[in-house]
Amino acid sequence: MKRTVALLAAVSLAALAGPRGADAQAAADVLAQGVRAYQDLEFDGAAGLLRRSLAFQGTEALAPAAAARALIYLSATELFRNHRDSATAVARRLVLLDPRFRPDQLVFPPQVVALYEGVRRATPAVTARAPADTSIRPGADAYAVRLYASAFHEISASLGTEAGRVVRALYAGPIGDGDSLDLTWNGLDSAGARVPEGRYAVTVTSLDRQRRVVRILRLPLEVAEPSVDTLPHPAPPAASLLRPERQPFGPAVRALAPGALAGVAIVLLPKVVASGEDASGARLLVGGTVTIAGIAAFLSRHPGRPIPGNVAHNTILRDAWRREVEDVARRNAQRVREVRIAIRAGTPMLITPEAP
Amino acid sequence: MRCALALASVATLCAPPLGAQTRWDVSFGAIGGREIVRSRTRSDTTERLSGLVFTGEAVVTRGRVVGRLRYGQGRVTADTGTGIMPRDLVEGEALVGYKARPWLTLWFGPHARTYRTALGDQRWLFWSGRVSARGGLFPGRLESFGELWQGFSGSVSRPAAAVAGRGVEAGLELRLAPRPLWGRLAYRIEQGRVGGGRRETVEAITLTVGYVLLR
Repeated sequence: MKRTVALLAAVSLAALAGPRGADAQAAADVLAQGVRAYQDLEFDGAAGLLRRSLAFQGTEALAPAAAARALIYLSATELFRNHRDSATAVARRLVLLDPRFRPDQLVFPPQVVALYEGVRRATPAVTARAPADTSIRPGADAYAVRLYASAFHEISASLGTEAGRVVRALYAGPIGDGDSLDLTWNGLDSAGARVPEGRYAVTVTSLDRQRRVVRILRLPLEVAEPSVDTLPHPAPPAASLLRPERQPFGPAVRALAPGALAGVAIVLLPKVVASGEDASGARLLVGGTVTIAGIAAFLSRHPGRPIPGNVAHNTILRDAWRREVEDVARRNAQRVREVRIAIRAGTPMLITPEAP
Repeated sequence: MRCALALASVATLCAPPLGAQTRWDVSFGAIGGREIVRSRTRSDTTERLSGLVFTGEAVVTRGRVVGRLRYGQGRVTADTGTGIMPRDLVEGEALVGYKARPWLTLWFGPHARTYRTALGDQRWLFWSGRVSARGGLFPGRLESFGELWQGFSGSVSRPAAAVAGRGVEAGLELRLAPRPLWGRLAYRIEQGRVGGGRRETVEAITLTVGYVLLR
């Protein structure tokens, strides 16, 4: 009893004397004291110390591995204090923190391991590990996100925008107990196109046996794409280089006009020049002849008729231009393909929907 | 009349060239045509006569300057009525022209027509300005042309009076290059007016065969 009081006093003193804003070393020290208290079977003191070690926030907080250690000791402590519900809750918290965690069977007694394993199997969850900052060539390389599961269960994984629109489905199916699963994304959307720059997220949804959503893991991704120097498309052949493909109407009309004008003049001008006289029909013979000659001249130009030689000439020019355009487009596509997109992963966040 | 035409022709041929071009183009033509002459007198009676007229033509070009001479003779006889005397017809012109454009020529000069009957000669003389234009239907081969003239002053004898007149000629001209031959189908109508309602209208359809002497 004396020893317990001394320990509590030490804890209180440590709590009072501990400088606010101390670094993670302080939390680690408290954890070490809690572990020692546990080993000394001082479970009440151990529970307090362990909870204190877990209460540190921000830069003072325990590292994930230390936090997992604190939680398993706390779960064991609560179990030995006959607080089974509390022990189960702490174990679930540990599963969600690190689904891969397994208690050391040499350190913890079988009942602690059994409790933890029971909780783990009843708590489907995944965690993700991804390169924090990397780059890939879309369509050629792949960006891998490794998933770890606490227990066998069904998951579905997709890449979506910040607004929640699914860009590409990545996986749907089971994930094994203690297994890892690699999700790969090649930098393209479901249509095979490069995704634009922006913020995205890999969302992994854990489902229970009734296919209800029990947990959602969200891994933020930031995709950045450097600008690409592409070649300009060649200009189409200048109009001055192209030849007319059809016989123009201009020369035909210019040939028709003199004949038609002269014909009309022969028919009409006698009325103007020799008013009061009825001109003879002879003028119609000449006027008609001139007009017919004009029409013949018009038709002889074959207005609108294709000019095969010019068509072939223009086709050669246009084909050469199209080949240049295709070549530039191919080279630009090659340049775009070779450009790597940068992917920066954020901190995974686990969301547990509220039970209905 | 013949002296006047001859003088005009000589004057035209002697006109100095305006252009720097020194090449001469000379062509001749023989024109055969049927002319219809309608004479309306003060008493509102009309005489209609027709007949063949044969004309010679010479055209000389140097640079932008053109000279044209025509001289023709023929005989027209009455188509209607009786007691109308046939007329021998002599006509000619001497024009000098300026080619403002390859297709447009401005002309000036006298042209005259004399009717010779048993009662004496009657001469119509006009000093006229003309505009002629031509356009290629088949370039170098077939052209259409039109010529419009307006008399500045004129006179008629027996009875002597001042006259006004104008006319038009249009048709087709065919060149048989590289041969130096050419042909022309034309229609011509012109009218001279004297005070008191007297007027003389001449209508003609002509066919010309020509020869290019120099080019």
